[in-house]
Amino acid sequence: MLVVQNLRKEYNNVVAVDDLSFRIDEGKIFGILGPNGAGKTTTIRTILNIIKPTSGTISFDSKPVTDEFFNIIGYLPEEKGLYKKSKVIDIILYFAQLKNISRLKAAASADFWLKKMEILHYKNKKIDELSKGNQQKVQFITSLIHEPKLLILDEPFSGYDPINQQIIKEMILNFVDSGKIIVLSTHQMETAEKLCSEILLINKGKEVCSGSISQIKKRFGKNHIKIEFEGDSTFLNSLHFVRHIDNYKNYAEIELNENIMPHEFLKEVVDKINITQFSVVEPTLNKIFIDVIKQSKN
Amino acid sequence: MNFKKSYIVAKWEYLEKVKTKTFIISLFLTPLILIVFTILPTMLAEEGSENTKFIGFIDTSGVYLPLMREKLEQIILPNGQPNYILVNFSGKSKHIEQLKSVADSNVIDGRIEGYIIVYQINQDSLKVEYRSKLSGSFIDIQRFETAFNEARIKLKLIDKGIEPDVLKILSTKVNISQIKIEAVGKGTNINFFTTFFSSIVFLLLLMMMIIYSGGMLVRSLLEEKSSRLMEILISSCTPDELITGKIFGLSALGLTQIIIWALVSTTLVNSAVIPSEIFNNILPVLLYFLLGFIFYSSIFVGIGSVVTSEQEAQMITTYLSFILVFPVVFSISIFNNPNTPLISILSYIPLTLPSVMILRINVAPISSIEIFLTIAIMLVSIYITIIVSSKIFRIGILSYGKRPSIKELISWLK
Repeated sequence: MLVVQNLRKEYNNVVAVDDLSFRIDEGKIFGILGPNGAGKTTTIRTILNIIKPTSGTISFDSKPVTDEFFNIIGYLPEEKGLYKKSKVIDIILYFAQLKNISRLKAAASADFWLKKMEILHYKNKKIDELSKGNQQKVQFITSLIHEPKLLILDEPFSGYDPINQQIIKEMILNFVDSGKIIVLSTHQMETAEKLCSEILLINKGKEVCSGSISQIKKRFGKNHIKIEFEGDSTFLNSLHFVRHIDNYKNYAEIELNENIMPHEFLKEVVDKINITQFSVVEPTLNKIFIDVIKQSKN
Repeated sequence: MNFKKSYIVAKWEYLEKVKTKTFIISLFLTPLILIVFTILPTMLAEEGSENTKFIGFIDTSGVYLPLMREKLEQIILPNGQPNYILVNFSGKSKHIEQLKSVADSNVIDGRIEGYIIVYQINQDSLKVEYRSKLSGSFIDIQRFETAFNEARIKLKLIDKGIEPDVLKILSTKVNISQIKIEAVGKGTNINFFTTFFSSIVFLLLLMMMIIYSGGMLVRSLLEEKSSRLMEILISSCTPDELITGKIFGLSALGLTQIIIWALVSTTLVNSAVIPSEIFNNILPVLLYFLLGFIFYSSIFVGIGSVVTSEQEAQMITTYLSFILVFPVVFSISIFNNPNTPLISILSYIPLTLPSVMILRINVAPISSIEIFLTIAIMLVSIYITIIVSSKIFRIGILSYGKRPSIKELISWLK
């Protein structure tokens, strides 16, 4: 279990991360989301023990994060790159050995992962002979060859075609099923929505919202409704409990004011138009993200 | 500090770099330069040519030719042929200008190498010229000069009624040989050329090694930084472990080079191509060499973590290595007097210490106290540089984009 408490990091009096707290249990994928410059990378770097927090604590399995921690952590940075002139297998073995895995054991698991990634035939090729996607696969292998208990992935899907994205997705899911913790930082809300069990949305170093996807959707989605109808619907635009409406001819997406329940809205309009379909919709994470960030700007 | 991780880093750095083309090229190119530098003077001091040279001779008096011939045709080439054959161009009837133009055209056509012309200005005054297409080798000229002067003195002696054999006694010269005292009763022969060249060669080797491996280090740091591999590395080991590994890996690389070069040179010494005097002080020289190399490498680690482009890196490495070879400017004065105040100061500044000591140690014995002191200075400097560099490194590797100002760098050191 990874526990982060009241994390704060300042650089030359600029606060990059301000009072972040969260915990992640085994077998969970935790998403850290936020716009550019929100403090995601700083948060990740403090977890990685690359930089020291100004205040706050990070502990893993109730132990403070120390240099011992290096060997059980795996990291895939956002910008990917490897030693261009070196051989695939040499690089994998180098990083595995740095994580305290014996050369022999690393060689065996390297074959396993290369095969799983469908790039075993590139084993003895130099990195710059590989396509960008395949280079990224090699880097992905280096981040988990030592079977870390905590794997931190920063934008793991960028640069892959849909087929390879699928391979990576499956590997991430398999990995987390074996009781590991994955921290995923991404801009791709759709991916986060599908993979993460919990998310933390941050902006300007501060937590904006956090919790399980369903909780968040519940919290932000109760007042979104979608109706299909026949008849004149112009009156909907001026209803006082409608906060926002996208009105099409026979279809509308409506956001209600906070204190109004969907059934109250239904009562109000049911006599005036012929409703063919009515549903309360969960907003996409993408929508929540944009709304919440916009809100915090105001 | 986990030395096992440093070892893994060192091994990686070593194995990956030892395979690069730059390394292999420098491995062969550098000894080539060494050979050129050391063999050239030896060769210059020996025979100049392989073929018999035809030399014209114009002397209207006609007295010098037989004596010159006798003297010069004694010099034999390795293949048993005479080195020079004198050809007489002095026709009695012709005017000296006519003789000259005939000889000139023979030189231009390549029938003769050049010719010696004797002008009799008056009874006691002579002028001798050697005219040729190329400026003649100084060995040739020296031989002509000796032969001519001997002939002239011989003629004078005969003229004065003195037995010409006296000349043999007169021309015997006693050379003063220089002996460098290393301990009471123990000395070595000094040969200016070998001392000078061996010291300069070591310095050049050190400079080339530093320029090229420093460049390699800085480039690889840049690569790791821009590809964010650095972040993976320092989430696997501490920056100190990483920096130690890198410096050791590079030093091992330097050591490999030295060993290979040493093997090459021993072979050359055994085959008598390189004078063995070069190796008189080999142990202290190698020590200064290695310390200098490690010292500069640790500076480059600090630099490599703040530079933002390869050009910038190249510039800094080159300038720094110029500081190292800067003492060569004083090499002549070191050879004249190794104990001037400036030289003493330079032998205590870590940037110039290795090169000054390499130069000095070959010239005059250095007290063991001074050797210990300078080595201690190097060790302490290396220690301090590694600490400073690793502080800069720790912050520098995570800051991207703009190069930090001096002010920022100082704040990093706090």
